[in-house]
Amino acid sequence: MYQYSPEDSKFLVERVDQFEKQLKRHLDGDLDAAKFRSLRLRNGLYMELHAHMLRVAIPYGTLNTTQLRALADVADKYDRGFGHFTTRQNIQYNWIELSEIANLLRELSSVGLHAIQTSGKATRNITADPLSGLTEGEIADARPYCELIRRWFNLHPEFSWLPGKFKIAVNGAKLDETALRVHDLGLRLVRNKEGELGFTVYVGGGLGAAAMVAAETASFVPVEDILSYLESAMRIYNLKGRRDHLKKLRIKFLVRELGAKEYSRLVDEDWKQTRDDPELKLNLTHLSELEKDFALPIKPLAFDGFEDKVDFNYSIWKKNNVRAHKISGHSIVNVSLTKLGAAPGDATSEQMRILADLADQYGYSELRTTKRQTIVFPHVRKDQVFDLWQSLEKYGLASPHQGTLAQIVACPGGDYCDLAKAVSIPIATRVQQRFDDMDKLLDIGDLNINISGCENSCAHHHVADIGLLGMQKNGEEYYQITVAGETLYKTVIGKKLGPSVSGDNVVDAVEDIVNVYLDNREEEEKFTEVFKRIGIKPFKEKVYE
Amino acid sequence: MSESNELEALSATLGAKVAESRPLDTSVLNKDNESIKLVSVEQWIENVNELSKLGVGVIVKPSDDVKLLKDTLNDVALIALDFNNFDDGRGYSQAYLLSKRWKYAEEIIGINAHLDQLQFMLRSGVTSYKLLESYEGFDEHDYTNGFSICYQAAANNSGLKEKF
Repeated sequence: MYQYSPEDSKFLVERVDQFEKQLKRHLDGDLDAAKFRSLRLRNGLYMELHAHMLRVAIPYGTLNTTQLRALADVADKYDRGFGHFTTRQNIQYNWIELSEIANLLRELSSVGLHAIQTSGKATRNITADPLSGLTEGEIADARPYCELIRRWFNLHPEFSWLPGKFKIAVNGAKLDETALRVHDLGLRLVRNKEGELGFTVYVGGGLGAAAMVAAETASFVPVEDILSYLESAMRIYNLKGRRDHLKKLRIKFLVRELGAKEYSRLVDEDWKQTRDDPELKLNLTHLSELEKDFALPIKPLAFDGFEDKVDFNYSIWKKNNVRAHKISGHSIVNVSLTKLGAAPGDATSEQMRILADLADQYGYSELRTTKRQTIVFPHVRKDQVFDLWQSLEKYGLASPHQGTLAQIVACPGGDYCDLAKAVSIPIATRVQQRFDDMDKLLDIGDLNINISGCENSCAHHHVADIGLLGMQKNGEEYYQITVAGETLYKTVIGKKLGPSVSGDNVVDAVEDIVNVYLDNREEEEKFTEVFKRIGIKPFKEKVYE
Repeated sequence: MSESNELEALSATLGAKVAESRPLDTSVLNKDNESIKLVSVEQWIENVNELSKLGVGVIVKPSDDVKLLKDTLNDVALIALDFNNFDDGRGYSQAYLLSKRWKYAEEIIGINAHLDQLQFMLRSGVTSYKLLESYEGFDEHDYTNGFSICYQAAANNSGLKEKF
């Protein structure tokens, strides 16, 4: 597995030293609050009224077990014994003392983890397909590219004070597990007619109050030219992006206002002048070194006549959580941390250590994190999946609900977040209680329900089969319902069903929508396929009848 | 759980407005300690024939289109980029264009500069700077050269081990 070199580790320590001095100057009154705010966000630190939140990057969502144990140690030593895995391959701690932040970051730097640019108006942690390298039909493993792009934009002198935050995702797989086109910039690995490797580039996507699907600005950028292209895309944004309006800072507004065609023209005009600069070419030697570092640690295994154990709960869990691995004799295993009534993505230090131990025992000491806030064991021998399940079961980490409608994505909502207009987790719990019949859950299949407590859309409700957005109406909590959003096969923003529904009625509405789906489903049709065939009307009629 | 995005955006917006309504600096000391008169980009474009004989510098605001200077760059005695607004990063792209792309050979001075941004300014192509504010006992070296390595090619990589 890829690990930072001594010079990379030194850089992480230098960054911590610098931040420690800035913090000291701030506490001594030599660095004003506004400037310190801008600097600390670039180190992942949010200061709340009563506590401080630190966001630590999990680059491309890949962790080794030493790193996961270090995250567990941080949770015990500096927080209250847990961390929160986010939808963008980060982990957040919520109870950090300012005086301890530098020591905390130094401990993490010793295992190659950091909080650089996990917030603030710069390129954020670059996310990759969590199943990179594992699935059939993949063009290439996205992670070496993520790492090279991450390095390039790490404290980039020109692009560290952009108009707004800048999120990049890279996908090399057939299915889009990264939600590329709702990112500020999405890169899809492709091959051209000549078989050469490159990227299709999408710019200007995003969720929030104005959800937009990113426009394709380049159909094929050769791999070695990607850095110069990204620089041009960011240079136009840096110079022309809106800085005057608090709700229009993101690049999606610039692309919308200029038009995707004009934005692309400006990028191309700039790029023409730099793409042949040898200094800006992607270093192919570094790339091939990284490809070796990220190579899978497994070889094909033949289990002729292998028969898996027969157990009712195991087979249900397996159906929903185990996927085929492209290397024969192996499986991909998904583990959900979601517990009824708790914030999705929360993990205790004890759970982190259990997962690390199990990954050492069954998973080649590697783990991945996903946008559904789950943990993936990327390579498990087929003949050990049952043993892994038994261990997960023992520790309460193998609920058969995973991979069904009950695996709801919800933001912390009004119970924990100052910005929320309504609660999220209690609604998720009520939906889970309504659908507590295992046979029915299995019949429904994998249907996504995402619940955001406000327009910031932390739970990505726009791209779920059923999305709920919390709002206030005359002092009461209401939910706007969107249906048939998706990102896996193509990117579609969900359609608004109609007027928002009160908190009392929202679970009935969700059940109505699911029933319309079941009543109209033909064979194995997915929710979005049924929606495309029958339209919004039957759903509307049932909910608002 | 996260801090207000609105607050973040609001402070940037207010910052931008304050910066735009602030009177521009009218002169600056160059590296030889001579006082150089500064004119705005508009003034320069309108009166380029007369001004180019006077050895004046041009002050560039973040909102200025620096491309307007491209054709007459060789006549400009000095360029002052205004970094007053901490969160407004347009000056870094302006410095890059002037320095690396158009090879402007005279002094590019970052005025109203902030200590914590010096290393970004210098690597983007700014050649000298005037601090907006300072504090007692600071070590300038900490801010101009805080790292041993750089991960990207920029206008200026001097003193750093390159890894790209």
